[in-house]
Amino acid sequence: MEFNASPSRASTLFKIRVRSGQGMDDDIADILASVSAPPISQRTLDLQALTRAWVAERTAPELLPYPTELVERVMERLGKQISNIEDMTGPMDPQANFTLVILQTELERYKFLVRSFLRARIAKVDAYPHHYLTLPETLSPLERQYLASHQALLSNHYSTSFLSAFPTNLQKLDDTAGGISMVDKPDEDTAVFCRVLRDAGKVEIQGPSQVSEAELTRGDVWVMRWSTVKEAVRRGDVELI
Amino acid sequence: MAPPLPPGLTPSEVGFLCEMEHVTVIPRQTLDGLELLGGPTGALKPPFPTPLPLWLALLLKKQRRANITPPPWLSVEALTQILDFETDERTAELFSPSPNLPPATTSAPLGDAATARAQADALPYHWLEIGHLLITHAADDFDDLDAVRKLLRDLREVRMSKLRKGFEVLDAGGGVKMNGVGGMEIAEVRGFVGGVVDGLRRLNRSREESRKERETEERENGLGSSSYRDDEDEDML
Repeated sequence: MEFNASPSRASTLFKIRVRSGQGMDDDIADILASVSAPPISQRTLDLQALTRAWVAERTAPELLPYPTELVERVMERLGKQISNIEDMTGPMDPQANFTLVILQTELERYKFLVRSFLRARIAKVDAYPHHYLTLPETLSPLERQYLASHQALLSNHYSTSFLSAFPTNLQKLDDTAGGISMVDKPDEDTAVFCRVLRDAGKVEIQGPSQVSEAELTRGDVWVMRWSTVKEAVRRGDVELI
Repeated sequence: MAPPLPPGLTPSEVGFLCEMEHVTVIPRQTLDGLELLGGPTGALKPPFPTPLPLWLALLLKKQRRANITPPPWLSVEALTQILDFETDERTAELFSPSPNLPPATTSAPLGDAATARAQADALPYHWLEIGHLLITHAADDFDDLDAVRKLLRDLREVRMSKLRKGFEVLDAGGGVKMNGVGGMEIAEVRGFVGGVVDGLRRLNRSREESRKERETEERENGLGSSSYRDDEDEDML
């Protein structure tokens, strides 16, 4: 479709493009694309999934469920690639040398993704440890181990430093008596940027004086509270950016 | 052990993310197809153009083994059209539309947004980063480098000023739609917008909680009866 330079035509053309992109044409295009598109390799899909998980983990205020199978596949592939590169580092001819450089660069990028993803998770676990002690299923086994031993060390340190000098009924670190819990929960209402991947119907936006509704159509970019879009992100209709 | 970064991607992370987008490359040397961790790459046979991830294309360009074709939206004509659209007063509320989304199974990155098959009248999500990287490292592949650089700068200023004007509608509940905005632009305003929305939420928290309580009471007791019953109870005490 031609994009003409004159402003009035441009705005009408923009409206036409927006309107024609919705509804039946979209579905037909989706079906055609899924039938005729070349099969995307599992590695590419995994890289995409890992990237999305990384962006989501860096953006969301609370810990998202741990993608166990994805990380297992990724780590296995990384290990194989590292041993592959070590084998290739033997004979040094110019052509293979350059291939080696490419492989190593990509390996470093991949390792950065995995490391940054894990670091984002550990940062959240460190920020709200007692809260995540009550939700062990969102953590991986290693993270659970880390949390348990870290908390054990800390509470030991606290007791020996000053906590043992407190009266007995004030010594708990996760006291929930008295109506106010000592356990800090991550703030579920922080603002997040998100893009809608599939039409997801309406969501309620809690304002200070009224509740308004918004329609999530494909391709929209919104600034919303995390609690509003949490369900849609879990379903995969909305991604965080 | 873990760096206490604020939530959201930093600009350098957005740059890292954009390097995964594909661009069209015209190779100067043959190179076999590689089996990368991210999937197989096409073999390089000059002079056929091949799509490659941007980080690989930049690596090849630095070693003078390939040339990068600028995507269709990164030319003087396309950028001028988009700039005209942005500066037109009638579109003061909107950004220029982003390209049509690929089918629902894929999303950025690894889309077609910066290859030679990209749409010429829409700015993809990573337009600023990709444009900047290509201008810096692939300068000789452009026809009119200075014009493109100037147009990119103008576009960036116009869009940032539109974003800043949009700060006026920021509300404690969020719910602001901004289609067509780019990745680096979001990274720039994320701190401010997030801070404003959270701050407004904290300031209005008591008002919002009392409104919610009122609504739950109304739902449980029927409209208008709750306050009357409260007064009666107080009188009885």
